[in-house]
Amino acid sequence: MDPLVLGGIVALSTILVLFSGVSVALGLLIVSAGFLMIFDGMRSLELMPEILFGKLDNFALLSIPMFIIMGSSIASTRAGADLYEALERWLTRIPGGLVISNLGACALFAAMSGSSPATCAAIGKMGIPEMRKRGYPEGVAAGSIAAGGTLGILIPPSVTMIVYGIATETSIGRLFLAGVIPGLMLVGLFMAWSLYSTWRSGDTERLGSGSYTWAERFEILPRVVPFLLIILGVLYAMYGGIATPSETAAVGALLCLLIAMVIYKLWNPRDLWVVLRDSTKESVMILFIIAAAGVFSYMLSSLFITQSIAEWIGTLDVNRWVLMGAVNVFLLIAGFFLPPVAVILMAAPILLPIITTAGFDPIWFAVVLTINMEIGLISPPVGLNLYVINGIAPDISLKTILTGSLPFVACMVLAIVLLCLFPGLATWLPNLVMGGAM
Amino acid sequence: MAGQSAATIAKTGNNPFLRAVAGLSTLAGWCAAAMIMAAVAITCQMIVIRFVLNGSTVWQTEAVIYLVISATLIGLPYVQRLRGHVNVDLIPISLPPRARFGLAVLTSLLSISIMAIMLWYGFEYWHFAWDRGWRSDTVWGVRLWIPYLAIPVGFALFLLQLIADFVALLTGADKPFGLDL
Amino acid sequence: NATELRLSHQWSNKDIRHKVAQIVADEVAAADVDLDIKIFGSKSLFKPREQYKPLSRGQLDMTVLPLSYAGGQQPAYNLTLMPGLVKNHDHAARLSNSPFMEALEAKMADDDVMVLVHGYLAGGFAGKDKCITKPSDIEGLQTRAAGKAFEQMLAGAGASIASMASSEIYNAMQTGVLQAANTSSSSFVSYRIYEQVSCYTPAGDVALWFMYQPLLMNKSTFEGLSEAQQNALLAAAEKAEAYYLEEAKKQDAASAKVFADAGVEIAQMSADDFDAWRKLAMETSYKKFVDEVSDGQALLDLALAVE
Ligand code: NA
Ligand code: NA
Repeated sequence: MDPLVLGGIVALSTILVLFSGVSVALGLLIVSAGFLMIFDGMRSLELMPEILFGKLDNFALLSIPMFIIMGSSIASTRAGADLYEALERWLTRIPGGLVISNLGACALFAAMSGSSPATCAAIGKMGIPEMRKRGYPEGVAAGSIAAGGTLGILIPPSVTMIVYGIATETSIGRLFLAGVIPGLMLVGLFMAWSLYSTWRSGDTERLGSGSYTWAERFEILPRVVPFLLIILGVLYAMYGGIATPSETAAVGALLCLLIAMVIYKLWNPRDLWVVLRDSTKESVMILFIIAAAGVFSYMLSSLFITQSIAEWIGTLDVNRWVLMGAVNVFLLIAGFFLPPVAVILMAAPILLPIITTAGFDPIWFAVVLTINMEIGLISPPVGLNLYVINGIAPDISLKTILTGSLPFVACMVLAIVLLCLFPGLATWLPNLVMGGAM
Repeated sequence: MAGQSAATIAKTGNNPFLRAVAGLSTLAGWCAAAMIMAAVAITCQMIVIRFVLNGSTVWQTEAVIYLVISATLIGLPYVQRLRGHVNVDLIPISLPPRARFGLAVLTSLLSISIMAIMLWYGFEYWHFAWDRGWRSDTVWGVRLWIPYLAIPVGFALFLLQLIADFVALLTGADKPFGLDL
Repeated sequence: NATELRLSHQWSNKDIRHKVAQIVADEVAAADVDLDIKIFGSKSLFKPREQYKPLSRGQLDMTVLPLSYAGGQQPAYNLTLMPGLVKNHDHAARLSNSPFMEALEAKMADDDVMVLVHGYLAGGFAGKDKCITKPSDIEGLQTRAAGKAFEQMLAGAGASIASMASSEIYNAMQTGVLQAANTSSSSFVSYRIYEQVSCYTPAGDVALWFMYQPLLMNKSTFEGLSEAQQNALLAAAEKAEAYYLEEAKKQDAASAKVFADAGVEIAQMSADDFDAWRKLAMETSYKKFVDEVSDGQALLDLALAVE
């Protein structure tokens, strides 16, 4: 059978199986096993456990549980609240200062956590009730946190950047740096929208929170110090010649656990177990998807589908921006349904050769891809952040959360457009710090 | 609505089999968490040896890799029990109860079959490594059957939890896809 | 319907080892014996170190593989990446056709594996701050070595061994985690290490680092082919082997030129340096090898007997 036709059949079957409600990782294994058995014979089926193990046999994957531990250990303390309160005391004069502080706190927290749901939960627990209390529209309160949380995978460290780096053999240190400026840009866009919509909702008087004395403002500053220490410590270890990015993750995890225990008194073994349990749960889920997606991509490669698609796209005579547009639509749709790591692992081997032949920078593309994945995190049906918000504020309807998030999706699309117009937004910083383009 | 149902956990009712499997899965979860912590500790030790003492680090990378893989495989049953494996339940949620039950039976059976296949060939692979005395090609030279052991053990426990979930579904101890409504 | 054989390797389609595979595939196709070789390059099917196992179990038909990757399955293979055992490319070619190689091929046969194309590639040293030519140069440096025997020898010279993937060398060198590295000429170039080091010691008249990287095939699969197909494969392999040797010689000079063009100092290893390394290797890696492998001494003697 023609590999391209076969590719179409595989795609349809995958959609069918994943929509049946089976877990994503098992679904990928089921589809892979089916096609390997039919088109490749039993000898490929025998190989599945070996390939699954092999896909996990990579030191860089260590950083995934580590960056998740960083986020969840800090999230389980009142550190998120401190951070957010500090920002609020300083920003209170600005109308809508509260939503600005929330987004700022999300961005800062994202710099410590590799995962988006963790960022969302850490800031949202405190931020959403506070914003509602002060009269912010529910949609803005929920939407800003859902969207701010997605920064977890754009602002370094980032689990999806690690996975992309592994799948495409690009430097993880470089990828992390590439996310910084686009991350800040997104924060800016989010803030601008929040301010505008708050202002539009009228009654801006009510939105200004209580005023703080200068004493109160300075008093809270020391409570932000642990955060800055962690962020600086991790950055120093990563770019200062102490450890490789994957090793740095372990330092960060240990630092965060220690700070949670020493400064925030997270002594109780039961509380520590909750941190560890949640980190283990999220890590195992992600790593198993990585392993299963690896088997899936073995199947695609073994049936020559990956190679044929890349060849076929190569023969198409289209404008590179049309191509990029099509790639974005594809990623967006995939992101609606699948968690980011699964999309990256299944798409990267097919997309990367296409992207590089068309003359796009793989580091830049990682940022575009990540923003696409962020959109997926706040869009149905599998929008992890939406469910986190739903868990924090069960009385806000999912519909309100969704409509509140929509304008932030528009900000992200705008960010992608800006990145296409000014690729330097992503590539300038890594080139500055790590030398010429790779 | 869909995605990772954060709050739910596989229900066991009073069924002794379900409880026993739940206990085993929880034990496996503890082991997985311990292995992840060990990986953190070893990595930090490696950085200290290399950066502070300028010493050789020959076994740490490999040990950490095997710990993380083992944590993943051994952690599978526990994450299944916590309903931590993400799925797309857009369709199940929109189905009437009977059809939803039918779909749950189908997906359970599919999941059980794929893990049975993986367990079978995984065991064979482990046995092959053991029989041939394979080692890793490093100075450390680990006997590979040790890390490979996580394949049959992890898959077997995972299969067991999947079977338990299926039993819970059939006996009514738990609802299809863990959905209330 | 033509028989299809699957060949897996880890290199890009510009790499010499891909070209060796391509020659075999093209020649066999031209022979018109109903045999089709499908090449899966750039690790698109298996990861580099995970090719030998499926090869030996018949799940993969052919591969181009550094044999020492399978040193965990057959410890004797560690002799194919032993410091100072091979002096230069011509010596390497003589080793490939010696009783030593016959002994190794007997081990491969135990795993149902056979050699189609023999070939060695050389490599060198790169230093972040200084040149590495003799054992005392490496003392106290954080070093990434390619291969177990090299790690043992360099540790014997007082280097600190940092184990990491070759793809991490670039960043580790840049941030200063790593101060020296030892790997193949082609890896030095493909990972752009010349951007991060001040001195490169390529393989020259003498070289320490030689790695045996043959094109292997599953033996049962080969024996299951028709006689015409087998003959076509063997004829293609012979042609590819001649090409491999000729191109291997050019690689070292080419890598030195890339480094020199990038402004990196080029150092040469003298015959005395080579002897010093080899003496050290005898006390460290050779000794460990003989201790670990039951027939290790006999194999080593066979290798050393090749002039
Ligand atoms: Na982050
Ligand atoms: Na989504």
